[in-house]
Amino acid sequence: MAEPVIIRIEDLSKFYKGSDEPAIDNISLDICRNEIFGLLGPNGAGKTTIISILCGLFSPGNGKVTIEGMDSQSDRNKIKHIIGIVPQDIALYPTLTGLENLQFFGNMYGLRGKLLKERIDEYLVRFGLDRFAKKRVTKYSGGMKRRVNLIAGLLHKPKILFLDEPTVGIDVQSRNVILDFLHELKATGTTIIYTSHYMEEAERLCDRVAIIDSGKILAVGNPRKLVEENPEYKNLENLFLELTGKDLRD
Amino acid sequence: MFKFFAAFRKEWLILERDIAGMMLLFTMPILMVVILTLVQEFGWNTMANEPQMPVLFVNNDSDTVGNMMEIGLEKAKIFSLVKEINSVPVTREMAEMLIQQGDYQIGVIIPENTTNTIRSKIQLMVAKTMSSLMRNDPDLLEGVPNTDSIEIVVLFDPTVKKTFQNAFLSATREFNSKIEARMVFRIFQEEIQKIFPQFKIPISDYQETVFFTATYPSGEEEAIYPSSTQHNVPSWAIFAMFFIVIPLSSSIIKERDEGSLIRIMTQPVSYMTIFMAKVAVYLIVCFIQFILMVLAGIYLLPLFNMPALELGHQYFAIAIMAIVSSLAALGYGIMVGTISKTHQQAAAFGSVSIVILAALGGLWVPIYLMGYSMRNLAALSPLNWAHEGFISLFLRGSSLAGVFPEIAKLLIFFAVTISVAAIYRTLKPPIST
Ligand SMILES: Nc1ncnc2c1ncn2[C@@H]1O[C@H](COP(=O)(O)OP(=O)(O)OP(=O)(O)O)[C@@H](O)[C@H]1O
Ligand SMILES: [Mg+2]
Repeated sequence: MAEPVIIRIEDLSKFYKGSDEPAIDNISLDICRNEIFGLLGPNGAGKTTIISILCGLFSPGNGKVTIEGMDSQSDRNKIKHIIGIVPQDIALYPTLTGLENLQFFGNMYGLRGKLLKERIDEYLVRFGLDRFAKKRVTKYSGGMKRRVNLIAGLLHKPKILFLDEPTVGIDVQSRNVILDFLHELKATGTTIIYTSHYMEEAERLCDRVAIIDSGKILAVGNPRKLVEENPEYKNLENLFLELTGKDLRD
Repeated sequence: MFKFFAAFRKEWLILERDIAGMMLLFTMPILMVVILTLVQEFGWNTMANEPQMPVLFVNNDSDTVGNMMEIGLEKAKIFSLVKEINSVPVTREMAEMLIQQGDYQIGVIIPENTTNTIRSKIQLMVAKTMSSLMRNDPDLLEGVPNTDSIEIVVLFDPTVKKTFQNAFLSATREFNSKIEARMVFRIFQEEIQKIFPQFKIPISDYQETVFFTATYPSGEEEAIYPSSTQHNVPSWAIFAMFFIVIPLSSSIIKERDEGSLIRIMTQPVSYMTIFMAKVAVYLIVCFIQFILMVLAGIYLLPLFNMPALELGHQYFAIAIMAIVSSLAALGYGIMVGTISKTHQQAAAFGSVSIVILAALGGLWVPIYLMGYSMRNLAALSPLNWAHEGFISLFLRGSSLAGVFPEIAKLLIFFAVTISVAAIYRTLKPPIST
């Protein structure tokens, strides 16, 4: 943890209306500059809720979230310029083409003209979508939609990138392209907060992970070190199952 | 500003690609205006032309009053008198039965001796007047019967609208008093002749001297003739215009359901910009709708034997009024779309509330026919403001300055609704429902 803290989460709790169990239960966590941080947990653990609070969609309740020293609520508009988000559910206009979607979301980040065009072209080629740019998103396969969904969140080269299950439902080829790409992003200085259900993927990608369940953090640390500290479990998946239990989640 | 144009482009592309939706957006209002105007027209005015309403007519009097009523009703052209059915003369009992069965809607029964009764009554009055004039001449009162009033019975099928019943009653009443007035004059002449046989009085009919002419004061040189088209097209155009609430709220809910709104909310752009881009695109739609509806009023309605819509000279004021009314409708649509949780909610609430606001706003029943408490409510309906504005422009020939209060109210309504939507959106993020 040589790098300075970029995101500081203090005493974060979140109750959804009409539920008496907290979705997030008093979490504190520091995320460092330029690390790939994994949020791992079973369905309903609270991963999406944490990401929503970090990018300012929800208030942190009694807790406090600071991003680059700025308060997640009062400095929300400044933070918006430095973060990028790839939502868990595809967030695109289905009747627009992939290109038009990217143009619109790029414009909303304040990008325009030649710069935007170059960025879009670069990423379309990188993710093998250049031939489909002018097709409507409704006609895309699930994996193609995921890739456009991903590009839309990083066109403006954010300092901090939130990825909510970016590799769900896509083939091995696409997954490899995405994981390689995230490594490259890290090399350019981006901080990445990432959720996943794939332990082996997280082991390969993340500098640190937090295993969460029922809104609580059960363990934090480098994935290899976590396994080393608990030698009875051969890998992260076994440790994960031990920590979160084998019951099915709702 | 550049983000606004980008959002405008996005909105436009989405709208443009929904071809079926576009067709509906532009054909529905035209259909609405034409059909609603025609239905209203046929409900009232066309009775004056073509299909005549059959009226059972039982003339037991067969003298001046009965015969004059008969001629009068037939002359009015609204009614065709049915005096016999299958060569059997209609009686009071028959008429009551036929109307009860719903075969006929109106029956008029002139009782026996109506004319005689009226005549004797007038004679009595003339005689009384004369006797008091001549003091002591008791002969005059001899042989003059003292009579009661008579009753002309009008039978209505209960399904006949109250307003129509009243209209019919007052028309027959008015007609009848005309006949009576003539008879008074005639009999007076005859009686005076009897008393002064030495003078030859030329027999003449009383002619009315007071007539009613309807004129319509308007700011313009040539008055716009207040035809039913002139009344109805603006009402239905506003009504149709406000239905933009449905597609607009649906576009907002769709954007939220498809997840794009979540992304937008994490981007450095204000909701106001996104809303305003939507408003701008749909404002163009509303304006085209309005132009199409006006064109339908001018060119389509005459094909159905309706008077054509006349615009007068206030083109600019009418355009401004159309834009401002659209804005009010759009602000309302944005608010409904933002607050509703589902398409169903928005569609149900949107359409029902528009119907209610239209009814309250006097689009169906003129406000001047409503009670005072209703009038106060009407003044709260934005559809009423739009309606008042258009009516002033279309019928009173007002200028832009004349409709300034309406314009101001509609603009304030737009500002309030869109702010409510923006505040609501800020307080309640669109996380999965
Ligand atoms: N809008 C909402 N209203 C009420 N409860 C919610 C809402 N969204 C999430 N929850 C609840 O909050 C808890 C955490 O949900 P969250 O979506 O953060 O989990 P997650 O870890 O992202 O799950 P998954 O892996 O399935 O995406 C769950 O119990 C869920 O039922
Ligand atoms: Mg989730």
